[in-house]
Amino acid sequence: MATATRLQVLDPTVQPIPASAVIAPRPETLDGAVVGLLSNGKRNADVLLGMVHEVLADRFDFKDVMVRDKGNASRPCPTNLLQEMADQCDLVITSSGD
Amino acid sequence: MAIKPLTSDRFDFDDATDAIEFYFKKGWTDGLPVVPPTPGKVAGFLNAAGRSPSEILCTEPTKGRVITAEKVAINAVMAGCLPEYFPVVAAAVEAMSEPEFNLHGITASTAGAAVLALVNGPIANELHLNSGVSLFGPGHRANATIGRALRLVIINGSGSVSGEIDKATIGHPGKYTWCIAEAEEVSPWDPLHVERGSPDDHSAVTVFAGLSPIQAAFHESGRPEEILTSFTNALFASGQEQEEVVIVICPEHMGYIRSSGWSKDDVRSFLFESTQRKVADWTGSGAFPGGPPQDPDVLYRVAKRPESFTLLVGGGAAGAFSSIIPLWGGGAGSRSVTKDISVHR
Repeated sequence: MATATRLQVLDPTVQPIPASAVIAPRPETLDGAVVGLLSNGKRNADVLLGMVHEVLADRFDFKDVMVRDKGNASRPCPTNLLQEMADQCDLVITSSGD
Repeated sequence: MAIKPLTSDRFDFDDATDAIEFYFKKGWTDGLPVVPPTPGKVAGFLNAAGRSPSEILCTEPTKGRVITAEKVAINAVMAGCLPEYFPVVAAAVEAMSEPEFNLHGITASTAGAAVLALVNGPIANELHLNSGVSLFGPGHRANATIGRALRLVIINGSGSVSGEIDKATIGHPGKYTWCIAEAEEVSPWDPLHVERGSPDDHSAVTVFAGLSPIQAAFHESGRPEEILTSFTNALFASGQEQEEVVIVICPEHMGYIRSSGWSKDDVRSFLFESTQRKVADWTGSGAFPGGPPQDPDVLYRVAKRPESFTLLVGGGAAGAFSSIIPLWGGGAGSRSVTKDISVHR
């Protein structure tokens, strides 16, 4: 007796490519550090960053603070801005507001 | 051409009903049943467009997705497309991949945009794509399934699954499917693809991140000034200082505009000048999410410039109903993208 032909179908999904990034080394202390504050450009993101900065500034003596805004919350951060912050900051704090 | 082997995982079933239920259970549909994508059908789609299975049609860097022609073809089969539709689907997916379209943003955002695909050129008639009656409605296989294929690619290819990545607050029904052709035969103007640089004997597809359309009805007069003035309420509702806003002009309105000899630029200039008002008059419109500007007498326009109005022609012959389609982020966060459709490569 002939076996009925089975229906073969294909997987329509695409799996994400695993991120190759690694976690940056943690600074020993924030005293003397250049800290970057990067807002995602949405409402209140700058308020939140300001509060975080205030709390940290009470505990650490920062060398400098770089404040930047990503501009468009729904687009990736411009590469040149990321590079500028990577070159000049010891750590960057980002916030997402709304 | 010799087709390379397909590499997607395969699943075996006794019959189509079991396969359809499997796709539901896996969350691989838009909530409607799909056509089971067999290797033979998928290969036929790739052949129809001269695409290799491994050819990359779309990359979406935010979620780290690389979408090949094979995956797009699988989703196009599932959507109910015919093989001859696949060149349109493939070109539309390539258009969605352009960084300025911002595929991740528009398919994740609470604003709930759909992808509106507009087809221009000879392929529209060859595929029987509807540009006429019930333009955004059901009953036309090419329109329904090409638009649906793009949504399935967004779900299965880019991973924008409802409630996971897709966080639309409400969205609109165009997210199931939204593909139209332009009614080039009733327009005296250059069709959109020609305006954007394609030869008029070429076919092209344009993708827009379309928010819910606003219908603009006006039956009282055949004067272009009055018809266009009737669009302004809908345009004010679409937002302020927009980079791009789409207007689909119905044949009845277009007939009056055409017989008055107005060019596209005439229409754009008129709309540009008639859609500005003081901040105070925008109050309560929700047009300023961060709060209104200080000076209530400053003028704000609907569009940044006259060219911000993208004018299309389409719809049924009877009825004076045009449509205003605001774009996600006022057209600034996502630019519409036009791609030529290559049928024989």
